Formats: sequence, C-alpha cells, structure tokens
Amino acid sequence: MDRRSFVKAGCLGSASLLIQGLDPMVRAESLPAVPPIELHSLPGYTPSSLAMPGLFPGRVVEVRDPKAIVRNRVSQPIVRRLLDQAMAELTGEKSARDAWAKFVVPKDVVGIKINPSGAPACCSSPELIREIISSVRSIGVPSRNIVVYDRYSYEMDIGAYQSLLPTEVRIVGIQDAFTSGIAGYEPTVYCDANFFGEWETRSYMARIVSHEVTTIINVPTMKDHSASGITGALKNLAYGTFNNVARTHQAPHTFTNPLIGLMCTIEPLRSKAVLHIMDGMRQVWHGGPLTQVQDFIEQPGILMAATDPVAMDTVELEAIEKKRREHGAPSLWEHDAKSITPDNNLFFHDATKNLFFRQPGHVEAAGKLGLGISDMKQIDYRLL
Amino acid sequence: MMTTAEKTNSQSRGDWPTLLADNARTGGQGQHQPRSPEKAAWQFRSGSAVRSAPILADGLLYVATVSGLVHAIDAATGISRWKFEAAGQVHSTPSLSGGMVLFGCDDGKVYALDRHSGKKLWETATRDEVWSSAVVRDGVVFFGSADGTVYAVEAGSGHQKWSRDLGGRIYSTPHAAEHQLFVGCGDGKIYSLARESGKILWETPTGNGIDSSPAVADGLVLIGSEDFLVYALNEDNGEVRWKYETGLGIASSPAVSGNLVVIGSKDGHLYAFDTQTGQLRWKTGLEEVVTAPPVIAEGAVCIQAGGLVALDPGNGKTLWRAALGAAIQSVPVLTGDVIYLASLNGEIYALR
Repeated sequence: MDRRSFVKAGCLGSASLLIQGLDPMVRAESLPAVPPIELHSLPGYTPSSLAMPGLFPGRVVEVRDPKAIVRNRVSQPIVRRLLDQAMAELTGEKSARDAWAKFVVPKDVVGIKINPSGAPACCSSPELIREIISSVRSIGVPSRNIVVYDRYSYEMDIGAYQSLLPTEVRIVGIQDAFTSGIAGYEPTVYCDANFFGEWETRSYMARIVSHEVTTIINVPTMKDHSASGITGALKNLAYGTFNNVARTHQAPHTFTNPLIGLMCTIEPLRSKAVLHIMDGMRQVWHGGPLTQVQDFIEQPGILMAATDPVAMDTVELEAIEKKRREHGAPSLWEHDAKSITPDNNLFFHDATKNLFFRQPGHVEAAGKLGLGISDMKQIDYRLL
Repeated sequence: MMTTAEKTNSQSRGDWPTLLADNARTGGQGQHQPRSPEKAAWQFRSGSAVRSAPILADGLLYVATVSGLVHAIDAATGISRWKFEAAGQVHSTPSLSGGMVLFGCDDGKVYALDRHSGKKLWETATRDEVWSSAVVRDGVVFFGSADGTVYAVEAGSGHQKWSRDLGGRIYSTPHAAEHQLFVGCGDGKIYSLARESGKILWETPTGNGIDSSPAVADGLVLIGSEDFLVYALNEDNGEVRWKYETGLGIASSPAVSGNLVVIGSKDGHLYAFDTQTGQLRWKTGLEEVVTAPPVIAEGAVCIQAGGLVALDPGNGKTLWRAALGAAIQSVPVLTGDVIYLASLNGEIYALR
C-alpha cells in the first residue's frame, strides 16, 4: 500500500451517499475490491460551522513533559498545565477558559469520547479526563450534562473510569461486548456495505452521538493498530461510534481504509466532534490496540490538541513510524505476507508480526474526504 | 436477627451466601479443596454478560446479569426456578439474608426479593447506580452507591437508618465489623464509619480512586487502590501498617486465610503477602489483566482471569487451569465436588 491511496468521493453532506471505486493501488495489493458503501446521516440535521476539520484546519499543537508520567503514573497537575498550554496555543487565547469557550457553551451536553480499549496498559488517562471535565465545567456546563462514553462498557470497567471520575458526570458504555441487537444505536443513521459476505451489513451510529450530546471532545490514545495502522482521532470516533465494525476485518484484510474516514463524515458525528485531545502519555508502537506488553509501550508524556483529526493523526502516524524505525520494526506501510500471523500471542510478543495488512492510508483517505489535512508540509505543527 | 450472610458458622456446608463466601471475605477457606474439574455437569446460558459473582444457598444458585435479570438456578440440574427483571443493569453481586436476596441495580435501587419465589419484598432508592454488594449485619443492610453515599437500611423493610456522603463514587463493597464499617471510595480514601450512626471515625488517603473491597484480619484493614498499592491499615485509627506497590492499578479485592492475604493487580499478577508484615510470599503472572478477587480454599487459591486458574497457596505455582470463566469481578463458588462459575459472556457452569 502506498500513501497515495485515496477514496474517490464527491461532496459529502448529511444525505445518503454511495461510494464506489477506490484507488487502484488498494486492489493492487490483494485487498478485495471495496464494495459500494452507503452512508446515511441523520435526516434533517443541519451541519455545524465547527464540523471537522473545525476551527483550525491543519493546526496541531503538541506539548510534552517527561515528568507527566513516571512508571505508569500520570501526574494530574502536569497534565493540567499541558492541557492549558495546548488549548491556549491551539486557539490563540490567553486563558484556558477562553480557549474552551470556543468549543463549548453552557447549554451544551458534552460527550467526552474516551478510548478504553487497551486498558489498563494504554487507554485514555483518567487524570486527563478529569482535567477535561474540569475545563468543561469552567464554561458553566453542569456535571450532569457531561457524559464520558465509549462503545464497550466492560472496557470502561477495566479502566475504572466509573470510580475515578467525579460524581454526577455520567459514565456510559453504549453496549456490552456480549449482547447483540441495536439497543443504544440509532436505526436511521448508518453505513451499509457488505465487505466479506456478512449477514448484517449495517453499522449504526450510537444514539448518544446522534441524539444525546451536542458537542464531542474526542480523547484518542497514541497507538499503532493491527488493522488500521494507527488508532488516533479518526479511528476513535468512527469505530467507537458505530456498531458492528469487527466485520470489516477478515484476516489478513481490513477495510478500515476507507471506512474510518467515511464514518467520520456522517452527520451529526462530523459536526459534533469539535475538538480532539490526544493522550500521548503512553505511546504503543506495536501490539495495539489491545496490547498489555510493556516492552512496546513507551511513556513520553505527550499531549496534542487539534480540531483537525486528519492532521492530528498524520502527526501521530509519523511518530509511531519513527518509533518503529528506532526499534527496527517493519514500517506500518509494509505489506509482506510473511509477516502475517493468525497467532495473537505471537503478534503481541513479536514486533515483526501482524494480524492484518495494515491500512495507515485511512488517514490520507479521510483527508481526501475533506476531514482535514494529511500532507505534513501543509500541517501547522507546533511543538511547544 | 440471624442472617445467612453474617453467620458463617450457621451456613449449611457448601453454602456461599455473599461475595467471597461470607462477610469475613474468607473465600470459602477451610471448606473444600477444589480439584481440577473434568466436565460440566450443566451449563446455563443467561443471554447477557455477567459481571458479578454467583452465590449459593440451599441448593439454589443466584446469578445477576448485566441485562438486569436475577436468576435462581437449581444447583443440581441447572434448571431455572425463577427470574426477576430489574429496571436497570445489575453489576452487584447478590447477597442472601434470611429469606431474602439483596442486590443493587443501575436504576439506583437496592432490591430485596423473596429468595424462594423471586417476588419483590422491598426496594430502596439512591441517586445513582449501585454496584457494591449489600452486606448484612444485625438486621441492617449496608451498601455504597455511585452517588457517593453509604447507606444503612433495615433488612426487614428497607427503611433508611442513616446515610453518609463521602467524597466520590462508591463501588467498593463495605466490610461490616462489630462496631465499624470499612469501605473504599472513588475519592481515593478508605473510610471507617460507625456502624450505628455512619459517623466518620477515620479516613486514610491513597493516591487514586478505590474499587477494591476491604477485608479485615487480625486488626488490619486490607485493600487495594488504583494507585497501584496494596494497603494494610490499623483498623482502629487507619494508620498505614504496610503497603506494597504493584505494577498497575488494583480493582481486585483481597482474600484472607490465616496469615496469608492474596490480591490481584491489573499488571497481570496475583500477589500473596504475609498479612501482618506485608512481606511478599509469592507473585504469579497470569498473562491476563486481573480485576476479580481471588478465593482461598484448602490447598488452592482460585482466580478468574481469562479462565479459571488454581494456584498452590504455598508457592503460587499453577495447579490447574480451566479455559472457562473470563471475568471482570466474578468469583467461583467452591463446594468441594462442584465449582460454580459465572462467565463474562453470560455462561453459567457447574463443573465437576
């Protein structure tokens, strides 16, 4: 796979959309042909001016402090400082409160989309979530109108978010991993595609996104991903909002490219996800998203802020690639059949192995869909 | 009023009426040595994930599911005797008290059911979900709520005796001692409350929130914290007698047997300490995140982590493994001939 793969997409709006015909490079590398993908946004929804790529297309602010995490313990005071610095730099505002006021108003119902998969070794840090909650409260949003959520409640349990976050803030797992059906999902908002002959071809948007929250603060983690190459802002939103997404992988193939970007264009997700704060306290360079193997997890103490998820993920992708190079691991872009294994345990312990032909091109594909900027030369990357 | 959960000595042999067998959190110690199971006597498909632990009394196994159903299952045959549907999800391990089954629910209520018929006897409301198990002592039911409050209600009626607001969400199951109640809290503190009034007697801070449920042995309150540490506190004043740092947070709860305390950590290890000194006896890697409490039976420590694992309490070496029973907070019921097991995926097993 090379980095120029893209989705041939026209204008994207809240109406349904039929996507056909991907870049030939995708098929050339033995990925089965991408089927037609239908997208159905929420009927009648009016897109917001804050819709991705948001207020600051192409801008990514990165702050870091190696003391922000020591032996897996995250320092909440340092995270507070990093968050304030990043928000001020992103928005150009002098105070953190003014910075947050660009994205949140007191009447909002604010969803904080965390990434608990990989808990406890690498997930959205409760310390950072506490500070985001505190910042949202500072705008005048009452605690009862703040919802910390993700798809799988059992992963949130392992991360102990329920006990570690302030009372009154709602903690919601949209579904349990062991229940079927679409309870918790909106039947009119979905994407429909038959990737591998599966019986259920639709993936529905969570109702908490379609109807309950008015604004989403996205808190991805900094990890490689066995299928999509990396999991960052885009993947956390897409595969963390729609159900029935495991069907898009059938080893060694995966349709995370183009599906991740396409899902992020569906309204109201595109409009509501106004801010992305990447938790790079820990950085997984192999074994993601679920690894617990500490050998592949570094603790650089990074925090990034952006409104443009594509630009943010492009920076993340470069960072994970660099880290893999430093460790002598194959590139995320490498598609070598010899590196593919069906053995999860081998994959978790051997950085030369993988479960899928990774698809890091999903980031660039999302850029082609208008979700942001994927060319590093055009990205306004600010390392403080 | 003598209740099943509080009077271990009065239990029928094999009964397991509350979390970790009895209010002393003995985990069935001294009852039976669980041998390696060879087959499933029966399997019950609940149809929903199970996060909590089953309990057992008088030949009935009680299991609560995340979908809000509480099942009473014939322990001999695996046939459902009755089921009760609560108004919300259930994460709380049920407890038995006299003729009642008590459990907390995500609708903010604690329910009391007739344990023979499943009919609701009473309910009492809090302002948020109840994941902690109800603990019964001297006719009073104690439990914590995610609204940050510990409640004491009359076991016969559900009428509130007292409540005490603490500083964070409460998922820890209280330990009811003779005069004190001990409980961990999401604000990172371990509290001692007066059992009669709920007055705070002492509080000891840790470095992060607490999910773990305390055990008490030889004057020590034993508990884990999300700050990675295992604590042993003086039960009279909360002074830290010893603490031990593991590799990640602790949601598991300690099981105590004699001078041995065993607890799991999210770092994937099970740790065993000398109760009095905190000296590490052994540490065994399970290659799974450990969040459930262990149980200590004669000759084996059992833990659900990925599957069911039995370890030698003397040295932590693995005795046997069964590839069933992945769990977040579930605990096997050990009765000698049979091991009852609830799995995260909703399967309930009787293993022989």
